[in-house]
Amino acid sequence: MNKSLITVCLLLLSAVTSGCWNLKETNQLAIVIGGGLDINQDGRLEVSSQIAIPAGLGGPDTGPNKKRSFVVVSATGKDFMDAGQNIQTQLSRTLFYAHRQTILIGQRMAEQGMNKYLDMVVRNPKSEMRSVIFVVKDGTAKDILETEPVFDPLISTALGSVQMALGMKPFYYREFLCESRPKGGSVLLPAISIQASAKRFNYAGAAVLNKENALKLVGFLKPEESYYANWIKGRQRALIVSTSGKQNNGSISLRAQGLKSHIKVVKDSNGMRLHIQLSGTGDIVENNSSLDPSLAKDLRTIEKNMSKEAEQAVVKLIQKAQKQYKAEFFGIARHVHNKYPREWKSLQKDWNETFSKLPITVEVHLRYQDPGQTNSSI
Amino acid sequence: MPKPSNEGVTSQVNPARTVSSSLKDNEQTLISIFEHCSDIVFRRVTLRDDAKLLLLYVDGMIDKDLVQNTILKPLLYEGVPQGLGVLSSLAQMCEMELVAALQTQKVSTFEEAADLILKGNVAFLADGEASVLLADVSQYETRSIEEPSTEAALRGTRESFTELLRTNTTLLRRIIVTTDLKMEPFEIGKFTKTEVVLAYIKGIATPDLINEVRTRIAGIDIQSVLESGYIEEYIEDSSYSPFPQMQSTERADVVAAGLLEGRIAVFVNGTPIVLVVPMTFWDGLQAPDDYYERFLYVTMNRWIRYLFALFSILFPSVYIALTTYHPEMMPPKLMMSITGLREQSPFPTVIEVFLMEFMFEGLREAGIRLPQQIGPLVSIVGALVIGQAAVQAGIISAPIVIVVSAAGISSFVIPRYRFGYPLRMLRFPLLVLSGLFGLFGVALGLIMILTHLIQLNPLGTPYLEPIAPTKQNKLKNVFLRRPRRRTS
Repeated sequence: MNKSLITVCLLLLSAVTSGCWNLKETNQLAIVIGGGLDINQDGRLEVSSQIAIPAGLGGPDTGPNKKRSFVVVSATGKDFMDAGQNIQTQLSRTLFYAHRQTILIGQRMAEQGMNKYLDMVVRNPKSEMRSVIFVVKDGTAKDILETEPVFDPLISTALGSVQMALGMKPFYYREFLCESRPKGGSVLLPAISIQASAKRFNYAGAAVLNKENALKLVGFLKPEESYYANWIKGRQRALIVSTSGKQNNGSISLRAQGLKSHIKVVKDSNGMRLHIQLSGTGDIVENNSSLDPSLAKDLRTIEKNMSKEAEQAVVKLIQKAQKQYKAEFFGIARHVHNKYPREWKSLQKDWNETFSKLPITVEVHLRYQDPGQTNSSI
Repeated sequence: MPKPSNEGVTSQVNPARTVSSSLKDNEQTLISIFEHCSDIVFRRVTLRDDAKLLLLYVDGMIDKDLVQNTILKPLLYEGVPQGLGVLSSLAQMCEMELVAALQTQKVSTFEEAADLILKGNVAFLADGEASVLLADVSQYETRSIEEPSTEAALRGTRESFTELLRTNTTLLRRIIVTTDLKMEPFEIGKFTKTEVVLAYIKGIATPDLINEVRTRIAGIDIQSVLESGYIEEYIEDSSYSPFPQMQSTERADVVAAGLLEGRIAVFVNGTPIVLVVPMTFWDGLQAPDDYYERFLYVTMNRWIRYLFALFSILFPSVYIALTTYHPEMMPPKLMMSITGLREQSPFPTVIEVFLMEFMFEGLREAGIRLPQQIGPLVSIVGALVIGQAAVQAGIISAPIVIVVSAAGISSFVIPRYRFGYPLRMLRFPLLVLSGLFGLFGVALGLIMILTHLIQLNPLGTPYLEPIAPTKQNKLKNVFLRRPRRRTS
């Protein structure tokens, strides 16, 4: 009895002395649900936090006099945590970062380079790594945080679903970190923009950050270009591919699923070559043309046209990457690294430059799975 | 509780005295033994041939019809039968000829005689004889066999034990029809002289176990046994453990199943609750009809019980740990709604849970004790005052009500109601630990509970067997209820 009492006392003491005493009621916390990084007019770092007001979220009262569900507080500072300290001065509850759903990066911030601020999110154990990350095109993070969401009570939780709804895997901070650590190439970040008139957000494609230049913004991709880029990267799950409809007087749409990408790196006497093979199968969901998917001949034509148009789009995207941005953001670097680890050591220094001169061939195979409920167009 | 009277003749009479041959002396002694016992009837009978008889019995405990028709009438009207040769004594005559009762016996001390009279025998004393003839004609009011009230089962027998030991052993005998079913009698309690029967199946129960239980029961020396709980307390291994180490049941089929598994049953007169020893942790989570229903349903039900048992012991403390120490472990939306509902509450979460747990235990206890007529009151007051008003007034936050009631209800999923007690009880230390140290405390508490469970070893059977120590062949019966044809 005496022995066990001493043991219990020791255990209790060890818990108290090792600092395991951090009882805090949830209503003593200011729950940061979204964070934004901006560079303000004076060139200083401005951190904005979207803080949830739980009383405005939960509870049975959904009447018109319901409280606001969030508040956006911002402050400038030397770095993330310094700014956080300054945000804290405006709040009566302790900031709590573990539920941060979204990190937004203002365009100006992206232009100046993200390299410096990667550390905090990882180093701080109280910080959430599974925040989705977006670059705000033509705007500041604060603007987006202040928009009123349509469905969810909080914009930050909604942003993660935007990508899913578009058939992509959500791009989390931890993935950004994984992709930005290896040297060479560029990182593709999803981008978002604000509709000034409606105070709503828009998926704005993707932003290219150059890893070889302090993660500075190179340029943006249009939403459609970003789908193909994600397909090549293997992050796109589903995509609706439509033929332009010039031939046969009408467009055809295929909801492609099971998208696969295969990147082949070949090196021979002529130097390095890349071959990108994309494939997917899907259902024909719309047919405004005169082709009849129930006929094998027409079906082949549809498949061929469709693949060809997708191929053209991908070629255009690759040209944009090679000629306009001179940045490789398709994740090809990893394949080259895997296949030619020795050569990669010399290649990685200016992989973007090397990439922009590589000959690349593209091949897209789209196959139908289900012609749909009717035969020819009604 | 009867106290030996220390006045008058009683103190002078030594009950262990042997019966003398003088009826007058004997009568005097018996009168002094049964002084101030208004329910003892002395009936003096003089037969035709002047032979004097004294009949003694407890009023209300004997079958009066039987005594009148088969004993008194023949004696008074016909006298001593003639032509039967020489009978050595009147008592022998009565035993052989007249007393048509099933069980008779002859004793020679007043102590034995008094004991048997108090148990519903009729005593015959004849003039000139130094012995007492006792005939078992006991009959008294008892409860009839009813449906089990604490161990409901959808399938299986509807008969439950009664207060009468004989009825209970009969119920068992009717299930297990073999001479190997042994029933060893004991008499325990100075005042209650309670009959205790040790039942086991010879050849299935190990002799070591039988000996152990036998010596433990024989070693009991107490004044009274009012319920089998008295016996349980004397023969259980660890009195301080919160876990029951003996299965208590009011179902004959459960006892039979236990005996067939090599366990031992302890019947105690005066209670419908029979003890089955030894018990393991997993027995506490098995229902009587587990072996009657199809194995698929039973397996599912068992898992539900395991999960709810865990839930009932852990839910409140894990809730406290998550909300106050590790809010990052909750899904964000859940955390928001909990926080939103908590905004008004004046107490810390730990205090809230404590208050509600106490209320719940109070309601549970009140539910048992309240007279049936005001039973609904508890549910109304409980639901209204605690469920609604407290939340609406902002004194208790709504999630706490959900947590406490869910955990409380899940403890009643456990089929053996006694096994729910330790789970409900251990919730409180876990609450304190989680309120002090968060999940670390909960883990600490669980480790302590597990250590204790592993240490428990009632009657040589490890409490957590067959999980710890692992018994491969029995293991499957814990996780699944294997189909019977395959288990054999």
